[in-house]
Amino acid sequence: MRASTLLSEILAVLAKELTAELRSRVALNAIGLFGLTTLIAVAYQIGPYQIQEQDRPHLLSALLWIILFFAATSGLSRVFVKEEDAHTAKTLRLAARPIAVLGGKYLFNLILLLALDALIVPLYCALMGYAVRGVGGLLLVLVTGAVALAATTTIVAAIIARASGSTTLFAILSVPLVLPLLVMLIQGTRAAAASSELAAVLPALQGIVSLGGAVMIVSVYLFPAVWHD
Amino acid sequence: MSGVSVEFKRVGKRFGDRTVLAAVSGTLLPGQVLVVAGPNGAGKSTLLNILAGVLRPSRGEVVYRGSDGPVPRAHWFEHLGMASPDMAVYEELTALENLHLFARLRGLHRSDADLGALLEELGLGSREHSRLVGTYSSGMKQRVKLAQAVLHVPAVLLLDEPSSNLDGAGHEATAGLVARLRERAAVAVATNDPREITWADARIDLAL
Repeated sequence: MRASTLLSEILAVLAKELTAELRSRVALNAIGLFGLTTLIAVAYQIGPYQIQEQDRPHLLSALLWIILFFAATSGLSRVFVKEEDAHTAKTLRLAARPIAVLGGKYLFNLILLLALDALIVPLYCALMGYAVRGVGGLLLVLVTGAVALAATTTIVAAIIARASGSTTLFAILSVPLVLPLLVMLIQGTRAAAASSELAAVLPALQGIVSLGGAVMIVSVYLFPAVWHD
Repeated sequence: MSGVSVEFKRVGKRFGDRTVLAAVSGTLLPGQVLVVAGPNGAGKSTLLNILAGVLRPSRGEVVYRGSDGPVPRAHWFEHLGMASPDMAVYEELTALENLHLFARLRGLHRSDADLGALLEELGLGSREHSRLVGTYSSGMKQRVKLAQAVLHVPAVLLLDEPSSNLDGAGHEATAGLVARLRERAAVAVATNDPREITWADARIDLAL
């Protein structure tokens, strides 16, 4: 009988990820650098005044998520590949339940995404003059979006790690999972910008939660096979 | 932990057209050391990976048998400790942090003193315990790998070239560890080192 709870094992994997990342800063640097560089390039070329007023809600919502998604992809996709590259995957495979590994890696990616949101979104709003009427709605979209996006990128990262770490494969596998999610996130962000009512973002939130939940459930069943075979 | 035996019957492995392991049979029994010997490329590591469950055989079967009967494949790792050249511990963590991680993953709560004693048994002095593993020599990393393999006192211990990168003192420490664990564990050692071959209670010689 194993004395530990699953939660304790998940937290052990998460603590390892956080400690290792804070010491190496590979993912933090990749995500932060990509996010800031893209944001500054967009702000420099477009800024708050280069877009017609009627186009602003659509374009600024889409640009925000393009920056967040590609910055996130540059770091999150390595969460399993780094284990294969460092030859620690087998050691971990022989010591931990697959679900504990998935849970710990997922929480790590979620924390990275939330940190990216916290860094980029206020800067983006300031540099692009993006006035958001429903701040509460935007926060809801950002948090649920991070939860769903972390689930998607984590399982895709696990699959590509077993395919010799091809980042091209990451992109290809991500498309059918991420595209509908990004569309809903952009819609939700646009709705939050236009209205201070939380009800305005509910349709998008329902879609984000449904898709994120479905990916999580599929991941729990799929991951042991991906991880071991 | 109660004794677990490992039976393998006509186990073989092919990668594409290449056969890397022909039909091999045997049993790991608690209290015994099975030495798997043979030239490079004969399939020693492949056999140990199949016994660990990290590689599926192309033919044959492996059965872990505990006091309650066969152990499902998904639970083999709970009874298993392994160290091999293609495994590593985390270089961004210290030796103690690595061992605490692997203990927690196995549902164990070990004190710094317990884990430090294990590292010292393997020849890593207390000054080294709080250094990042990335700063270690290959021999010191091998000692940490061996420690993570045995910290939970496994019922099945698989060691692939356990003395690789180790000096004479490291080999002696490994030999002492195996001698201590073999009292209850089923041990398999893949090696060509004449000193390790003497540990054998049973032996399989693989050929190219």
